[in-house]
Amino acid sequence: MPNHVVAAVTAASRSAGGQAKRAVSAEYRYMNVPRTGPGASGGPRETALPGSGEPPGAELGALLVRVARGDEDAFRGVFDHAAGPVLGTVRRILRDPAQSEEVMQEVLLEVWRTAARFDPDVGSGAAWIMTLAHRRAVDRVRSERSAARRELRAAAASVEYDEVTEAVELNLDHERVRRCLTSLTELQREAVTLAYYHGYTYREVAELLGVAVGTVKTRMRDGLIRLRDCLGVE
Amino acid sequence: MPEGRKLPAGRLRAPGRPGRLRRADPHTLVGAYVMDAVTDDDRARFEQHLAGCETCRAEVRGLREAAARLAAAAAIRPRAGLREQTMLAAGQIRQLPPVTRDSPAGRVPWWRAGRHALARLTGAAVAGRPRAWVPRLAVAVAVVFAIAAVAMGTAMHGAENRLDLAQGRSHAIAIVLGAPDVTMLTAQVSTGGSATVVMSHRDGALVFTAAGLPALPGSSSYELWLMGPGGPRSAGVLPAARGGMTGPMVISGLAAGDKVGLTVEPAGGSGRPTSPPILMLGLGI
Repeated sequence: MPNHVVAAVTAASRSAGGQAKRAVSAEYRYMNVPRTGPGASGGPRETALPGSGEPPGAELGALLVRVARGDEDAFRGVFDHAAGPVLGTVRRILRDPAQSEEVMQEVLLEVWRTAARFDPDVGSGAAWIMTLAHRRAVDRVRSERSAARRELRAAAASVEYDEVTEAVELNLDHERVRRCLTSLTELQREAVTLAYYHGYTYREVAELLGVAVGTVKTRMRDGLIRLRDCLGVE
Repeated sequence: MPEGRKLPAGRLRAPGRPGRLRRADPHTLVGAYVMDAVTDDDRARFEQHLAGCETCRAEVRGLREAAARLAAAAAIRPRAGLREQTMLAAGQIRQLPPVTRDSPAGRVPWWRAGRHALARLTGAAVAGRPRAWVPRLAVAVAVVFAIAAVAMGTAMHGAENRLDLAQGRSHAIAIVLGAPDVTMLTAQVSTGGSATVVMSHRDGALVFTAAGLPALPGSSSYELWLMGPGGPRSAGVLPAARGGMTGPMVISGLAAGDKVGLTVEPAGGSGRPTSPPILMLGLGI
């Protein structure tokens, strides 16, 4: 899609930005974080906090290049950087702690095995690993869902049950993402969090939110675009 | 959600193609695609679209970076011990070589690298519609290894156990864990603790581990048996537990109808079981 269309979509969603503040409380249900203050929501573009240094993916990328050469110390470093985000994401989707650990290990081992296929020119190490992790968790949860023939209604009920017990690592990413999420419209944010943190398909999200399928697809896209622009990632 | 109706679908039509239905433009799926909120069919269609669209790939890349930050924001701390277990498991996995210019498959798009790599590993064809849950063999085996490590002792404290795992994990164990048909069985021991069996039908062999078995007085030992139609065969006396973990023990020569049994015997073991089994685990063979 041409850039000016992207810009139009983004601008159109921004015009609905007044809803963001209202939606903050709903958001905390998804993010599972204590509110640090009602005025905490930032502007549309979050600037880097002091001391944040390089983007989080950069260091991982360098480590992955070494992992590809069989460097076990580098793999240890990859684990230290990536295991927390992988585990947290997988855990949100799967809920089951033991299964989540298992998937986290699968993902890290897949990273070890396929590190030579990582190409720093096409994306950050973090994006490469998290793409793998998210896909793996979603595959797992969907195969189970269909196996159990769980009703969507039951799945909808589980949206309310959203208390991951482990302490969330309060890091810079967490704070910045939280603030950027508040700059999304309510529908954008719900579409993004239900898809990313709960592993629902766009059709399921449409069903859960009672919104047209096409609208959900669009909101997932422009929500992510706004998040990307706010975070200043390339 | 009134907001959903503020932006009629028609507004998103690509300029210059006024008559084109949005439904026909797979590109609107980019957000759902990046977040895996698509079916396999959707994904296959979208990847076809991506293959011919450089700006779309650029958009996917940018949105993947944003999604990765969502992951980072959800980070939780893995429990102690997981890192070393993962390191140990990694030590058992051969890494894929890099793709070179003369690789048969040529350059594989990065977003498909995993599937192609898998196909190369398993010899499977890369289909347009991947199955929802393709078994990843090497990784599955390593995970069994990791799980066995978990079963052997949830927390692997200290250098002693690590050394023990690294050294004591004999070639035979590696063969069972590396077999293409490994299966894992777990069962509770009636007097306390749990047993885990990782088995290869092909090799007729298994690796037995137990966790949390109650300590026995010096006059007794745990003894492992293969109990088949022809009567029980001793598979050896379990070594003393260390850090709550017992084993691993490798047992080969499995026969049809065999079950794994565990009894308490006089120290040093018996020729035949002298007490009722505290564990009886059918192997399905």
